[in-house]
This record gives sequence, structure tokens and C-alpha cells, in this order.
Amino acid sequence: MPSNRFDQAKPFATLGIVVLGWLLLPVFVKVFLRVGFFELQAPVHATTSYVRDLQEYWADRAHSNNELVEAGRQLRHVYAGYEYQAQQMEAQRAEIARLEQLLRLPSNPDYRFEPARVARRDLSGWWQQLVIRKGANYDIPIGAPVVYSGGVVGRVREVHAYTAVVDLVTSPRVRLAATIEDDPRPVSYQGGLNPPLAPARGIVEFVPPDLVTYSSAPRRLVTSGLGGVFPAGLTIGYVSRLEASTDGLFQSGEVSLDPRLSELTEVTVLVPLSPD
Amino acid sequence: MSVIETHKAQRPRLLFFQLLIGAMLLVLAAGLAYRQLFRSGDYGERERLQNQRRVLVPGPRGNIYDRDNHLLVGNRSRFAVTLYLDQLRREFRTEYIQIVRRYRESEAAGDITRSDRPSPGQLEQIARAQVVQRYLDQINRLLGRNDQVALRDLLRHFQQQLLLPYILLDDLKPEEFARLLERLPIQSPLQVYTSSTRHYPYGSAAAHVLGYVGSTEEIDVEDVPDEDLKTYAFKGSAGRDGLELHYDSLLQGKTGGATYWVDPAGFRVRSAVKPVTPQQGGRLDTSLDIDLQIAAEKAIDQFETLKGAVAVLDVRTGEVLVLASKPDYDLNAFSPRLSAAAAQDINDREAWANLAISGVYPPGSTFKLITTIAGLRSGRLTTDNSTADCEGTMRIGGRIFVCDKSASGYARHGVIALREAIAKSCDIFFYTYGLRIGPNLIADEARRFQLDQPTGIDLPHETRRMLIPDPEWKKATQHEGWFDGDTANMAIGQGFIGVTPLRMACLVASLARGETTTRPTLLHDPHRATQHTEPIGLTTGQYATLVSGMEGSTIDGTAKIFQTPTYRIPGLRIAGKTGTAQTTRDGKKINIAWFVCFAPVEDPKIAMAVAIEGDTPGESFAGGLYSAPVAQAVLKAWFEKSQQRVPAVSGVAAR
Repeated sequence: MPSNRFDQAKPFATLGIVVLGWLLLPVFVKVFLRVGFFELQAPVHATTSYVRDLQEYWADRAHSNNELVEAGRQLRHVYAGYEYQAQQMEAQRAEIARLEQLLRLPSNPDYRFEPARVARRDLSGWWQQLVIRKGANYDIPIGAPVVYSGGVVGRVREVHAYTAVVDLVTSPRVRLAATIEDDPRPVSYQGGLNPPLAPARGIVEFVPPDLVTYSSAPRRLVTSGLGGVFPAGLTIGYVSRLEASTDGLFQSGEVSLDPRLSELTEVTVLVPLSPD
Repeated sequence: MSVIETHKAQRPRLLFFQLLIGAMLLVLAAGLAYRQLFRSGDYGERERLQNQRRVLVPGPRGNIYDRDNHLLVGNRSRFAVTLYLDQLRREFRTEYIQIVRRYRESEAAGDITRSDRPSPGQLEQIARAQVVQRYLDQINRLLGRNDQVALRDLLRHFQQQLLLPYILLDDLKPEEFARLLERLPIQSPLQVYTSSTRHYPYGSAAAHVLGYVGSTEEIDVEDVPDEDLKTYAFKGSAGRDGLELHYDSLLQGKTGGATYWVDPAGFRVRSAVKPVTPQQGGRLDTSLDIDLQIAAEKAIDQFETLKGAVAVLDVRTGEVLVLASKPDYDLNAFSPRLSAAAAQDINDREAWANLAISGVYPPGSTFKLITTIAGLRSGRLTTDNSTADCEGTMRIGGRIFVCDKSASGYARHGVIALREAIAKSCDIFFYTYGLRIGPNLIADEARRFQLDQPTGIDLPHETRRMLIPDPEWKKATQHEGWFDGDTANMAIGQGFIGVTPLRMACLVASLARGETTTRPTLLHDPHRATQHTEPIGLTTGQYATLVSGMEGSTIDGTAKIFQTPTYRIPGLRIAGKTGTAQTTRDGKKINIAWFVCFAPVEDPKIAMAVAIEGDTPGESFAGGLYSAPVAQAVLKAWFEKSQQRVPAVSGVAAR
């Protein structure tokens, strides 16, 4: 019966109509829907994150007074150390400013530090990204570098009203101009294809052929500062092995990244004070 | 009669058409079967040729090292930013439509007429140029530049190199490369691109020997498949001079490449298939010693604008340690390409020629070594009894010949024997014995040392213009007889004789080994055997007198500058011979200052020849004053280096 046949094909026809409708939708509607969907999702991520913070707060409350006193004591030591370093840094800053003036060099780019809690970690074979709990409401710009105590975290890819998506340095979508420590020549770092639960790795390319690394003493890969996005000297990872490229021009190798990248709870966004 | 019956009545005709159509269908089916079953291979091949393109990428050239493994010529990375045009097809189309629309609007408004509108082909080019310029503007913003698309280049690229990425900016600084690495999105049609270009860490050092490369579109392809496909190739490089040219096949990298699927417009539609990675060319270990080379060039440079050449050989093996020629040029000016201004500058300074192998000069008094050997071997000159009375002048065939002319007048050596005559370079002595020996014996001796032959060094452009004259030659070429004056001139290395500095270095190296020939090479082999050629043909006593005369030259003779505090090299005994020759350039006579030597006298290891051209006609330009200091700089560098190599052994021996 014809009517029965149409009934059977109805789901396919509906799917076809929906797909056709989606294809025919204007681009701005699609973008609006996508952003709207993300903004709707954002409170869920933020709430989950706040709940996790609350859990941690109550877990901290469970510590005894003795533990807190001991932690406070340790913190005082750390604070004293940092205070001393801060004084040294002030002196160095003054010296750098003097030299810049003397040599008429342009100043290094300056940043505003914007700490942000991690609302969501999305680490899979497809995505290597974080959602942080600050967005346009804190003037976070797209492309801003994100760092933590261990070095580079990644770059801001999308900015929403109250959240931002950060491409992790483990992602193949992130490429940086780096240098191998103590060598000024720029090399390229790019995140690798990192499957879940495996140690995160990246790829370093265009390494000059005279640079040598040993697995027993890996060399630190740091940001070069030449790219104009990241300040110089931030740790990206460690290079333990380099192989000559077959063209004889360069070497390439793997970069071991910090495993803490998959457990981050707090990061700092470096917001350029004078964006170009 | 019903309709059906009517049709039945016409069946024979229908049958005819049915048969006709059946036959035609059969023909079609047969044709289809023929093409699908029997010609399918041909069509598959045609489809492959139409839809696939081969891209070739030349491998980087091999490195060149000196004998101590110092890199003399390598490759440096050359950073560029490229645009993948195949990703821009939609943008080209959109831009084209917008341009056409703007023209139509202008026509409708009456601003232009239909005839003002460019042809569709021109509109397409405009659209492409505008899209490409938009991408270039992105790069300009990132790098603070203001570059414009080269329209002619872009057009040529579309016509000839469509499958290759279009190079927007070339030879970027490392900082610019780093900036683009970080700023360009990974998925962008704009990508950073690296290739190699020649790099010369020592700039102009050994420029003429190392040579340079130029770009070429002819690259050797061996193992990249699909040679029948239409092929696009990145430019390669080929040696144009020096070792780069002579050993081009060794240094040339192995070409790699890949095959790509393309659409009917020629844009790439799929990633590479059958990729073959390019490989670097072989390494070349030269016999040059860059420290000595730099010492030699620096020493010539002290005379600023003077031209000159130095050739230094390992006495034992003939390996060339130094081959310097001034003026020279900075090899890095050739990389990636020589500018017109730089080429003009080299032209103006006459710096192209490698004077060590192409500069032909009369050898002056250094030739007296040949006259001496000819005399000793013929018995017309002896070590004990042959003397001459040098009063400063000598009449030969109605013409007055003089001994060496110095500021204080003609040299008057008095009664002088062979050893002293060599040391003090007494012309009267050699006029006297040259006439006794005769021109043919002297010429034969010079030819025995192959002074009339190219050395056969592994470099291009070695001259063949060297000349050892004799009476027969003069008659054949000058249509004149040979006079005693010619013999006198020949005996002291003047007149028609012409040799190169490298050839003279070979002569001294041969003398140092007590032999006649040294074949120079620029290849280093740590296990190379000592050269053994025809013995010099002198008795031990004769040979000792010859060497003693040469050593005397550096002690109290014409090269006694070696005994002054500035030029003395303590612990090194040197056997040398100075020379001052005259040659005519642009109708004016100029001097050539020569110095040839080997050292150490007791165990010869290094031999050299230095020739410096004077630039002022009539100026006193003695070899001892100009060339000997250059030789001293090389000898000092060599001696210090050789002492550093055996300090432990000396220390042990001292105990």
C-alpha cells in the first residue's frame, strides 16, 4: 500500500528535510545558534565548577588546626622567598628600563595577569581544550596566551560572555615559535595527536642540525618571545631526542609535556596591555 | 478495420526499423564493449595523465669541509611565506563576480562604457591579484611591511606553476619566520615554507676555490615515479664555479617529489601520493686549511688594493692547503642570488678571476732554480768551481744587462759562487751561466718540471696559457731568431716565460721532495700516499747546495726579512727564493713580486708560491718586500698549528 510505504519512509524524509533546512539556513543564523547553544551550556559548566570548588572548600575545612598551622608556616617560607625574588625583579626591571632607554630599544610587551578557574577540561583524541570561567566580562581577547606555574597552557580560541575556550598546548591546533634553552635560534613547536590517558607530547621542528639533546639530560623548550604572542622563556616541555630530517637541513623530535596539564584547576591569562 | 489491424498491416516496415535500431544498438554495444574491454587501459592512462601531476623538490646540496672538518660551505634555511592557491578557488570566483558587478553598475551609471570593461580573462587576473594581495596584506600587518604582489610573477605562476604554492615573501629573517609561525592559523592557506640556500660561514675566504651556485630549472630525477606526467619542479641549484662546479654531481642533492590529483583547472584536489623525500647531496672534504687560508688572505689584504695569489701545498701528498686570490668577493652575496649591483662591483674590481690558477706571470728570479738545475745536470755549472764576477752590469749582444737594481744603484756582488748567487739572486751569475747552458737545455729542464703544462687541479678554468719559450717557438710564432739577450732573460725568468702561482708551488713542492712533478689536489685523504715522481737528477751534494742557497736567501739573502724581529719564526728553517718580474699591462710595465719556499728545510712539509702584482708602473716592487711577508704569515700560522698538534710528544721527549 502506498500510504504504508510513505509511513515507513517518514523518518528518512523528516531527516532529509531537517538536513536540507540546516544546509539552507543563512550562516549568521547557524553562528547565532552555535553561540547560543554554548552560552546556554556555559552555566552548566560554571555551576559544576563552582560545586567542585565547594567540595574542595569543605575538604579543606576538614583539616586539623595543626595541619593548617604547619601549612601556614610553610607558606610563610615560600612567601619570604617570593618577596626576595620580587625585590630582585624590581631591580632587574629598573635595569632593563635603563638599558632600553640607553639603547633606544622598544619595550617588551607588557601583560595584565588575569587568573581564571578551569570550568571544564575537554581532553580527547579530537579536542585538547579547557573552558575557563572568565570571558568577555573580563576583556579576555581571542589569541591571548594562557600560562600556569609550569609554563605554557595554551591560547584562547573562543571568547564567550562569561567563559572562554583555551586550546591546550597539547593540541595540534597550537603552534608556537620556540627556542631550545640557551640557543637563540627559533624553532617550531606544535602539539601532537594525543590520545586520552597517554602522556602528552608535542613536535618540535626546524631545529638546527648542530643542536644536540640526550635522553639522560633532556633540554628545555621555551617560548622564544619572537612570535609576539607569548613572552620569552616560558617552559613548553622537554626535548630528549632529535632526529635529522632527510633533507639534511633541520632536525625534528618529540617534546614531552607536563602531565599536570591534564589536571589544571587554575590558569592565568596574559592579556596584552597594548595589543597590536 | 481496427487500429491494431492497421498496424499489423505495416509490420514489414516496422520490422525494418526494428532491425535498423537493433543494428545501431548493436554497434553502440560493440563500441562500448570495445572501449570498455579492449581500450580501457588506454583511457585509464589518458585519465591518469589528465588528472595527475608530478611535483619535484630538489634535495639540498652537500656540505664542503676543510681538512680539519671546519664547515666551509653549508646550507642555511631560507624562510618564506607561501599561499596555497588551490584553497582559494571560491574566493577567486566570488571576487570575480563582485568585480563584474561593480563594472556593470558603473556602466549603468554611465561612468564607463562597455568597451572600457576588461576582457573576462583580464577580470580573472584582477580578481586573483586582489585576493592574493589581501593575504599579503595580512602578512604585511604582522611583519610591519608594505609589500605588493608582483603581478607578472603571479601571472607566470598561474600559467606555469599552478600546482606549487605561490611564494608571497622570500628570504624572511628568523624573527619574521618566528612571528608568522605563531601568528598564522594552522589551517590557513598562508603557510611558512622552508628551503635551503648556500651558506658560507667564512664569507669571502677561499671564494674562488669554493665557487658559487646559481639556480637552475634542470634538476636530475632518478627515483621519482610517474615521469610521463606533467611535471612541476621547484628550482634547484647548480655549481657555477670552483669546487661547486667541479664536484657538482657529488654535491647535488637527490631530488624528491610526489604525485598529486588535480581538477580540470589544475588545482590540487587530494594530498600527495607516492611521496619520495629529497635527500642531501654528498659531503666534500677538501684539503684546504681555513686557518692558513685566512692568514694568507689577511696578509695580502694589508696591501689594500693590490692583486695577488698564494698557493700552498702539502709537500708529501700535493694536497692544496691554501689557494688564495685577491681581489675576491663575499660568497654570501650569491645567496640566494647575486644582485646586479654586487655583480657590477665584482666586475669593477676585476675580482672574478682566480689568479692562483689563471694568472700567468713571468716567474722572475724564482726561475733561477730551474736554470741552476739545468746547469748542474748538464755539467756546465758546478757547485765548487763555477763563479762569476758581478760588477753590476754585463754587455750581452750589444745591450747592457744589469744586476738587481736597488735604491742605492746596481748590485755589485763581486766574485760570487752558486750558493751565494742563489741566496743573493745575482743576475750576472745567471746571465753568465745561462749563456753557457743555452736556451734549449733550460727550456727542457723547465718542461721536465712541467712548467708549460696546467697542473690538472680539480678546479674549472685553469689556464693553459703558460709558456716555456725556446728558439724554435720564437721562430714559429714571432718569426724572429733567438738572441743571446733572450737566453739571458730566460735564465732569470724574464722575457716570454709565463707560469701560474700554483704551478710554481708545485715546482717548489717537487724540489722539496727531490723530484720533478707534483700533482695538486683539493681533496683531502688522511691516508693519501706520498707522491713519487721522476727524481730531480742531482747528486746529493748538488741538491744540498741548491737547498743551502735557498735557505741562505732567508738568512742573509734577498729574503732576509725573515731574520727581522717582526718576521722571524723561531725554530723554523725556510728554504726560499725571491723574484721580481716585469710584465706589461695596458702598455705600462708593472712588477710582479714573487716568493717561493718550502719548510722546514730538514723535513719539508709545506711548499708555497706567492705572487703580488704591483699597481704603479716603474715602482720598485721586490719579492722580498711584498711577497715574503705574505709567505711568513702563512708559515707562522702553519708552524704554530703544527706545534699545537704535538705538544705532548715534545713534552715527553724533553724529559
